[in-house]
Amino acid sequence: MARFFASPGAGRVLTSPHVIAGGLIVAAVFLCALFAPWLAPHDPEDQNLIVRLLPPAWMAGGDPAYLFGTDGLGRCVLSRLLYGARVASYVAIVASFGAMLLGGVLAHIAGYFGGRTDWLIGRMVDVLMSFPPVILSLILITALGVGVNKVALAIVLVDWTRFYRVLRSEVLTVVQRDYVAAARLLGYSSSQIIWREVLPATTPLLITLLSLEMGIAVVVETILSFIGLSVEANVSAWGVMIADARNYVHQTAWNLVLPILAVFLTVLGFNLLGDGLRRTLDPRLALRVGR
Amino acid sequence: MSDVVRVLGQRFIAAVPILLVVSMLLFAVLRMIPVDPLALSVPPNATIEEIDKIRHDMGFDRPIAVQYVVWLQNTVHLDFGRSIQHRDSVAGLIAETLPATIELALFAIVIASALGLAGGLYLFHLRGRPGEVVADLASTAIMSLPEFLWGLLFILLFGVALDWLPFIGRLSPAFSRPVHSGFLLIDALIDRRFDIFFDALKHMILPAFALGLSFSPPIMRVLRSSLHDVYAEDYIQQARLRGIGEWRILVRHATKNAILPTLTLMGVQFSFLFGGTLLIEVIYSYPGMGNLMVEAVRNADLPVTQAVGLVYCIAVLFINAVVDAIYLVLNPKLRRR
Amino acid sequence: MALLEARALTVSLDLAGQSIQVLRKVNFALAEGRVLGIVGESGAGKSMIARTIAQMLPRGFRVSGGSLDFDGESLVGISNARRRDLLGAEIAFVPQEPLTALNPVLTIGQQFGEHLARLGLARALCGARAIELLDAVHLRSPATLLSQYPHQLSGGMCQRVLIAMAFAGQPKLVVADEPTTALDVIVQARIMRIMLEMTKRHRTAVIFITHDLRLATHVCDDIMVLYAGVPVEIGPAKQVFGAPRHPYTRCLQLTTPSLSAARRELIALPDRMPDLAEFGRITGCRFAPRCPLRQPRCDAEEPPLVEVAPGHRSACLFPERTGTFIQEPPIVTGLAAASASDRDAILRIEGLSKKFRRQRRFWRRAHDDVVAVHDVSFELYPREFVGIVGESGSGKTTIGRLSVGLDEPTAGRIMLAGRDVTDVHNAKSRAHRVATIQMIFQDPQSALNPRRRVVRIVTQAMEAGDRHAPWSERTARAQDLLAEIGMPSDAAERYPAQLSGGQRQRVNIARALCSVPKLLVADEIVSGLDVSVQAQLLNLLLRLKRERQIAVLFISHDLSVVRYLCDRVLVLYRGAVVESGPTEAVFAQPRHDYTKALLAAVPPDDLTQRWAALAASGQDAGLAL
Repeated sequence: MARFFASPGAGRVLTSPHVIAGGLIVAAVFLCALFAPWLAPHDPEDQNLIVRLLPPAWMAGGDPAYLFGTDGLGRCVLSRLLYGARVASYVAIVASFGAMLLGGVLAHIAGYFGGRTDWLIGRMVDVLMSFPPVILSLILITALGVGVNKVALAIVLVDWTRFYRVLRSEVLTVVQRDYVAAARLLGYSSSQIIWREVLPATTPLLITLLSLEMGIAVVVETILSFIGLSVEANVSAWGVMIADARNYVHQTAWNLVLPILAVFLTVLGFNLLGDGLRRTLDPRLALRVGR
Repeated sequence: MSDVVRVLGQRFIAAVPILLVVSMLLFAVLRMIPVDPLALSVPPNATIEEIDKIRHDMGFDRPIAVQYVVWLQNTVHLDFGRSIQHRDSVAGLIAETLPATIELALFAIVIASALGLAGGLYLFHLRGRPGEVVADLASTAIMSLPEFLWGLLFILLFGVALDWLPFIGRLSPAFSRPVHSGFLLIDALIDRRFDIFFDALKHMILPAFALGLSFSPPIMRVLRSSLHDVYAEDYIQQARLRGIGEWRILVRHATKNAILPTLTLMGVQFSFLFGGTLLIEVIYSYPGMGNLMVEAVRNADLPVTQAVGLVYCIAVLFINAVVDAIYLVLNPKLRRR
Repeated sequence: MALLEARALTVSLDLAGQSIQVLRKVNFALAEGRVLGIVGESGAGKSMIARTIAQMLPRGFRVSGGSLDFDGESLVGISNARRRDLLGAEIAFVPQEPLTALNPVLTIGQQFGEHLARLGLARALCGARAIELLDAVHLRSPATLLSQYPHQLSGGMCQRVLIAMAFAGQPKLVVADEPTTALDVIVQARIMRIMLEMTKRHRTAVIFITHDLRLATHVCDDIMVLYAGVPVEIGPAKQVFGAPRHPYTRCLQLTTPSLSAARRELIALPDRMPDLAEFGRITGCRFAPRCPLRQPRCDAEEPPLVEVAPGHRSACLFPERTGTFIQEPPIVTGLAAASASDRDAILRIEGLSKKFRRQRRFWRRAHDDVVAVHDVSFELYPREFVGIVGESGSGKTTIGRLSVGLDEPTAGRIMLAGRDVTDVHNAKSRAHRVATIQMIFQDPQSALNPRRRVVRIVTQAMEAGDRHAPWSERTARAQDLLAEIGMPSDAAERYPAQLSGGQRQRVNIARALCSVPKLLVADEIVSGLDVSVQAQLLNLLLRLKRERQIAVLFISHDLSVVRYLCDRVLVLYRGAVVESGPTEAVFAQPRHDYTKALLAAVPPDDLTQRWAALAASGQDAGLAL
């Protein structure tokens, strides 16, 4: 892996505006998540019915103690947003790495060895991909139960197929290159070849997909918590905030807009990052788009 | 033409084992639910004997494999069982709600295709110009908000703030639903009730647009990217050397080639879109299969969940088959002459 | 008056603030009905001339000086509308890669029809006219062809369609940019014949761009030799070839192996032609750094194009020296025959066959298999170079891959240094193969891992497992190998992307040599390379033969190269060996019809032979080719 970073393409990555912008946003979200206990002014679960449905501090009727206002049960919106970032970040990282590992390993095995293994895994993937992802996640989560880890697991089980399909095509292309044949002729075993020749070639794509997958994971988590099937009742997540805020949309639209904005910015960050990575790491694209 | 029939036939045959495995998976997964499926549909003061009797009636006391076989036999006869919650036949529930979802999905697919293809052409047209960066960013931004959040935003903006369009249900309460095929637009036309037709249309605009908009950016990007690839090909240069103008090259030579990889992506997007109808229906209180599913999942209504899950899969397989057939028609290399 | 006239035409590229002249002071005049050949290696600027005629220069390039007139009208600065009027109608182009030059999703009929309609023909008449034109290029059943798609046609057929389309508008000028380079040898000859036929019939002027000087001499009336964007010699074809007046032209001749003349050592010019970035730095003659006749004056003064004989001009300060000083190099002595003591063949192939399964539906039977190799047997002795020649699809690459163990044979035996290695799954066989035989791959682009530096590529054999060697040992070995293949020691730290095609091939060879094999399989390793680079590699192989006593199985479609390098040759046709024996004997007196057809398709050295007519006269009539 270290070899990848020393290779000629790596330098371009850091100067791409997409990567920088996306990277900053993502870093900001992760920092909020990490330091939420210190950044949040109140306990996110602290209900105070006296101050319910306050607008944000900069509007008429707002209270500076509650910067972004309060929700229907008097909980501080800012604090809930920060703690929601924890859930989102956790799921994003765990689920995307899990999906990458599962999908990636299987893709390399199937792509390199072909034959029956390829056929078998391919059929499995066909079955899984005949479900719309939302439906499959829903069904899995009802079976697995409630909790952040279960959500991450459900996402891994649904999304690994996407990694698999895309990576497998790439592996097939790389395997046909002559330098892989040359390595075989020098007597190397399959695992050595996959590790030393194929993997460095597929790593750029892997990283790009990882970044995009994080955005997808955040979205799925939001959907599930919106429906009420994600986190336990006493944990704040952005989807839960959105679901709650729907009931009070006529009183204070901010309760709805702010968590939506949070989701939007987070996913935008991952998308920009993934986009930037794809453009800089794929030599053909880099030439064409000129960045 | 025979190729199209052949592909569809192959897909049909291939779908059977897939659906079998899918249904087995569904069956097994749903039995893992920690909640006792009966608990919610039994009166609180029922005796143990009564509960056992109901359990026996519903067949829940037999081993899983047997339950599955029974289910399978019934399904082949199109008997999906009875909903635990509603006591109605599942098939009936699906028949009521499926057309609504299909109508919504089709409308959204049309919007997504139109936006995606037009957007892709426009993005390509802007290549090399400063406007491209802006348009690119716009497409990334659209893609960063999932369909249900777009739905909510639309409600906020067009429904609540501006009050231009309705956002609840399929029809205004003033109208009574004409019932023929289940497809509201068609039924309205059959009855020649244009007022119902337009009302139904108005109700569908926001949800369909939210769906269509959120799934269009990938289509735009792939079309743009494919056009770039095609323009780098030799035959485009040769066409220019024969004196053919740029417009004709774009329309007649390039697009027909670039549409192929785009089509593959569109197939994938539309399967996702079909799943996305679930959330949109929840948000817009649209009486489709999505709402049925969510309710069933919340109440652990297994027969309904099982059947609706299967229907979603059939829809995805169907969409894929249609896309493959269209791809075959457009790509001469795949045909066997 | 000349139809197409270039006067001091100069095309520049703006690169990193500098203006680089990629074409410099090009002068020629092409009259109606004449064929002008533009000869040069890749990067010389030949295609740039074609693009300038079409006024479709890539971004950043522009005509910065001189003029280019077509039929009295200046092409430079022409309006887009006028340009589109001319293209396809009065000026037509024949491309290099026929298979990709046609739109894959439109039928031949649709594309031809579109072209004819553009030329002003009524829609209803397009079909019939297209059939007429396709018939004129000797395509069978043209009516069926119209409803077919490009992927259903062979390369040769596509090229005929493209030629038909080019001549459809009865153009005054046809520009053919390497029209036969991508085609097989026999097809090449046919296509050339068709082009000449059409040219004579329509009295079209032709610009024929090629890298093959000999071919140009047989086909063209006049030749212009281009080097690094500068025309170095121009004159009547037979004169330029028979009595060249520029060292580069002479070197081109001496760098190309010949099929029938005495087998002489190839002159390998050092380095390679300067590329664009280097153009700006050269003062004086652009060829001087590589010229064997170099004098101090050559570096300072840029030689003008002066007339050295009627109609024959040369851009050299000492044109008369070319004839006197650049003599024929010595004859290469004795192709090493297998010496008596080397009785044991290194490679013995018996009854080798390979069938490829086509994608089957489960209701079809096995008859759909493609036979790539059929019952091939031969031996290879130590220190022997054996060539396998054939056209594409003949199975030669498959034989190479089977020998090395990359594919499994369907039938037959492969014996390597006495041991049976037919079974590719057997670990002992694999280990034995690894130690004995290595392959040099064709495509330098995909043969080297772009993420590895050269030092790690050439010593890859020492990387893992029981052969793992410490880094210091590897760097030392890398330096040895680089010296052996003739590359500077600082190349070890470079990435493949920083090397030229010729250099990459050398690294390829070095990698194969690292494990000290007894036998190398070289699969088309010099095709696609410039003649001077090719000569360097061929001489390298000969040197390795002398110094390392290595044997080589040399797969190629180029008969001249095989004749230069190989002791024995096998001629392959459709997977079977049709003729074999010592190279000289086979090429001098071929027995099989296919071998005869192959040999006849190569432009001969002897200019008195009317080659184009020879190839056309139906040497191939007896075969179902």
